[in-house]
Amino acid sequence: MKEIIAVVRMNRTNATKKALIESGAAGFTALKVMGRGKLVEDKGVIAARKANMMELAIGEDAKEAEQLIDGFLDGQRLFPRRMFHVIAKNQDVDQIVQAIMNANRTENKVGDGKIFVLPIAEVVRIRTAERNEVAL
Amino acid sequence: MYLIKAVVRPEKRDEVLYELTSAGFNAATVVDVVGRGKQKGIKIGNIVYDEIPKVMIIMAVKDADKDDIVSVIMRAAKTSEKGAFGDGKIFVSPLEEAYTVSTGAKEL
Repeated sequence: MKEIIAVVRMNRTNATKKALIESGAAGFTALKVMGRGKLVEDKGVIAARKANMMELAIGEDAKEAEQLIDGFLDGQRLFPRRMFHVIAKNQDVDQIVQAIMNANRTENKVGDGKIFVLPIAEVVRIRTAERNEVAL
Repeated sequence: MYLIKAVVRPEKRDEVLYELTSAGFNAATVVDVVGRGKQKGIKIGNIVYDEIPKVMIIMAVKDADKDDIVSVIMRAAKTSEKGAFGDGKIFVSPLEEAYTVSTGAKEL
């Protein structure tokens, strides 16, 4: 058995839930978390969005606005994300990971999230005390 | 790869995150949690507080970076030279696979 931890955008929560049902893993635990990723080293990736935001800031102090937008896009700040914990059988893991990735990919190039797969030693269903795969 | 879960004092959150960025490890997920440790909470007068607020910092790291990151967190999260009860714990568990959603690549 494996635990799949996926950190995704807040507004993709529903798409992710749907993808989980379709890939055969209806049960999950979700948390609200704050997160950040790697620092953006290649500024070209965020150039288009930066230009967009600079246009919105017309009329304001350009230097101050640029500083603010840079701080927003370069990855040092924490942003709200949804963290899903899904426990699955070994053979279902690839399918579920693919489904989550398809539901969460956007055009933004950064900030789409990460998926981690960890080993799980034992599962117990409290109601019946069943163990391992039958308890999933 | 490893998944590091560090439980630290809420007031140390920004310091730990800043130190991690300075050391070159930016990626992290932060959750507010409550918990108690070996001391069974804090007893003030007759009241026992056993749901003490903490912050959990979750990081997925490469094998080679694990020890560096643990020592950075340890240094930043300590409240004094000696440390004190309630400074937190760091847990390290094995991580089998990691995927980046934007590229679909099987890497951190």
